[in-house]
Amino acid sequence: MKERTLLVVVLVTALLVVAGIWVAQNVNLMPAEASTRAALVDQLFRAMLGLAAVIFLLVEGLLLFSVLRFRQPRGDDGDALPVHGNRALEIVWTLIPALIVIVIGFYSFRVLAASEIREENPLVVNVRSRQFAWTFEYPGTSVISSDLHLPVGRQVRFLITSDDVIHSFWVPEFRVKRDATPGQMAELLVTPTREGTYPVRCAELCGVGHAAMGLSSRVIVESDEAFQAWLTQAAALPADPIEAGRTLFKRYGCPACHALADAGAAGVVGPALDSLADPNGPHAHAHGGMDIRALVEQSVLDPSAAIAPGFADGLMPKDFGTRIPANELAILVDYLVAQK
Amino acid sequence: MTTATPALSPRRYFGWSTDHKVIGVQYLVTSFFFFLVGGAMAGMIRTQLLAPDSTLVSAEAFNRLSTNHGSVMLFLWILPVLAGLGNYLVPLQIGARDMAFPRLNALSFWLLVPAGLLMLASFFVGAAEAGWTAYVPLSISGPDGQTLWALSVILLGTSSMMGSINFVTTIFTMRAEGLTFWRLPLFSWSMLATSILVLTATPVLTAGLALIAMDRLVGTLFFSVPAGGDPILWQNLFWFYSHPAVYIMVLPAMGAISEIFPVFARKPVFGYRMIAVSSLAISLLGLTVWAHHMFTSGMDPRLRVPYMISTMIIAVPTGVKIFSWLATIWGGKIRLDTPMLFALGFISMFLIGGITGVFLAAIPVDLHVHDTYFVVAHLHFVLFGGSVSGAYAALYYWYPKITGRRFDERLGKVHFAANFIGTNLAYLPMFLAGLLGMPRRVVNYDPRFTELNQLASLGAFLLAVSVLPLLYNMIVSWVNGPKAGDNPWRARTLEWQGSSPPPVHNFDQPPVVTEGPYDYGEAEARSMMPSPAAAGD
Ligand code: HEC
Ligand SMILES: [Cu+2]
Ligand SMILES: [Cu+2]
Repeated sequence: MKERTLLVVVLVTALLVVAGIWVAQNVNLMPAEASTRAALVDQLFRAMLGLAAVIFLLVEGLLLFSVLRFRQPRGDDGDALPVHGNRALEIVWTLIPALIVIVIGFYSFRVLAASEIREENPLVVNVRSRQFAWTFEYPGTSVISSDLHLPVGRQVRFLITSDDVIHSFWVPEFRVKRDATPGQMAELLVTPTREGTYPVRCAELCGVGHAAMGLSSRVIVESDEAFQAWLTQAAALPADPIEAGRTLFKRYGCPACHALADAGAAGVVGPALDSLADPNGPHAHAHGGMDIRALVEQSVLDPSAAIAPGFADGLMPKDFGTRIPANELAILVDYLVAQK
Repeated sequence: MTTATPALSPRRYFGWSTDHKVIGVQYLVTSFFFFLVGGAMAGMIRTQLLAPDSTLVSAEAFNRLSTNHGSVMLFLWILPVLAGLGNYLVPLQIGARDMAFPRLNALSFWLLVPAGLLMLASFFVGAAEAGWTAYVPLSISGPDGQTLWALSVILLGTSSMMGSINFVTTIFTMRAEGLTFWRLPLFSWSMLATSILVLTATPVLTAGLALIAMDRLVGTLFFSVPAGGDPILWQNLFWFYSHPAVYIMVLPAMGAISEIFPVFARKPVFGYRMIAVSSLAISLLGLTVWAHHMFTSGMDPRLRVPYMISTMIIAVPTGVKIFSWLATIWGGKIRLDTPMLFALGFISMFLIGGITGVFLAAIPVDLHVHDTYFVVAHLHFVLFGGSVSGAYAALYYWYPKITGRRFDERLGKVHFAANFIGTNLAYLPMFLAGLLGMPRRVVNYDPRFTELNQLASLGAFLLAVSVLPLLYNMIVSWVNGPKAGDNPWRARTLEWQGSSPPPVHNFDQPPVVTEGPYDYGEAEARSMMPSPAAAGD
């Protein structure tokens, strides 16, 4: 009798282990694996899924078996044999789960450490979020885009910020998300490994546009050549000087603070920039005999030199001089002066 | 039999009463009303999500519905229904005439009513729409209803703390002669563990809510980012309460099914002390894990691993409970009456919630599934498959105690079947949707998730229908059901040893306890009897 029990226990255990291994190897519940991190996370996930299958089958199996096997016969009013406990059994079912979670914890830690290793020369991308859109900036270039283009195989260092409430930058195919919290800059390392187009989601409730924000942007992982080509094309300026000026005005974020009819801009932090050159216009205060081009250039490079009446000093960024190359500045100034 | 039951006028349930049994029923009925309200909101949500680009519900209305669905279900249904069971049962289980502070007890119930009305009334001024988690700064700028929401939850927290003071004092000071802690029924043990947890964690939430309310009402800047406020502070305050809240909502349900297994398997509880102690262990560990909700929000990277470990360790005492329950029914003489079915359903569904909780604790996996439908599925398996199943099991099990009537067993089984199928149908597909990339709290979604969402909605509709046999059964059986007798399940805990329903003062003579509560298979229940002086009557 004892030997039979032992045999059954060994057999059931073996069956459960086989089932667990089968699940770990054959069940895939994840989307495409598009980053080095995704591969690591999926390994961990599958191992856990296998273990989960074993525990699930064991518990539900015991439950079903008991319900089917140990029923009170009709007409029997008596109690079952009283068993109050079993020290050995209780120790076993405390220790084994403890062991399992320790192993999972250790494995998770290893995966976490491995997925956050820094590589040489990462591509830096600024991820900016606001209600309800993502914008991706590529420092060192003038490119600002609502789709995220990435070269395959090179580590990306995302610097994630928010202009208003908390958002969460999530690319399911990369298996990672990071909250964009106002007042903080979050860092996230990802190395894309698979070319393709994937969604960028917003995972943190951020207001009425939350769902729309998670459906609006895409990440395009492409070959390095394709990426470089996109970068040049996205940075290039139209041949027509007015169109080029308008592009630059938007690219450097002037519309956030200034209104300008031609660019469809409606910012209210700074003065409207229409009819700068009109000596009787709203900007007459600044002219004071100075050449209008020099004046506008000075306003952009050194905003504190002269303050437009009714507006505060210190709001207009002082670093445009380092961010806007000389040739682009010339185009931008010509464009502004040309506005009637 | 102790005394003839005094005629119970239904009127006594409608006014101020300090009788714990009346208050218990008031809690049960009120919370059930809010359950229906929260369920109606869920129904609208799941109808909207039948199609990926549905416009049935506006984005604004959707956020208001999901925020209040969560808040109503947690704060106005699960917490108070369990408080109601505790109120009704703890004094009876420990042989006391009432709770330690009967008037405080009535006050905790009567705070629930205005708090609930306040939350519902917020829909008239623009309801809260920042999620039940009310993350700042979003929750600072929302409509006026957000303020009402915060005030309502402050009231509910206060009510819950008052109730807990009462439970702790009652259990410590009012146990019958001979009722040592190692003879305390497991449901009362779980209420003790829960109350300790409430008293530790709830003040932190109410303090945080007071800060939000002040930011909104009097212009303080605790959470204003330009003024140097820290959004992460709120997350710490919120989760310091809201993770333990999960245990606050599941421990009493575990206590209830721990009472049910021995009765319906006719066997003593296996490992009684381990089950009792594991409740305390879960309470204490539960206080150390809150930041597992914040792995993506920029906490110090070195702090993440300790939180992962403590979270995973909680699986151990939880596992102890599950295995002890299985060992209790193993070799028993099982009867599949409705309470037992729901108790078994609890194990089979809570198990899924528990296992997926370990997935969420594993940081690398969490960074993928956090704030997705995977979490929605997980929390519903814990709270609906777990807590609500436990509450149903308890309602059916103690129904004859409370009403003196038997409910219709067939309707009970229909309810169980619909509830079991509905729960799995509603929440299993959500795991997959989350893993594949569907964020939570979205009014529209990527069309690739359409089928999964339709299955989930189908399950939700089945759950809605499943409440009908329950309601009908509970109401009609109270009026028309056959008399149950004092102890229809032949249980051995103290609350079943007097008449059903109990007389106003519970016990005419203070009972004396001479044995443990689950000595099935031992000599005929001579234990737990009210003292001989009362028995002669
Ligand atoms: C963060 C807000 C902000 C941004 C972005 C900004 N400005 Fe300004 N700007 C101001 C403010 C405020 C003033 C008025 C105070 C002053 O004169 O320094 C101003 C003044 C000016 C003036 C002088 C107007 C006058 O009547 O004297 C010019 C020209 C100007 N900005 C051009 C630009 C251009 C071109 C850009 C984009 C490259 C830009 N600004 C980006 C805030 C901004
Ligand atoms: Cu967002
Ligand atoms: Cu938690």
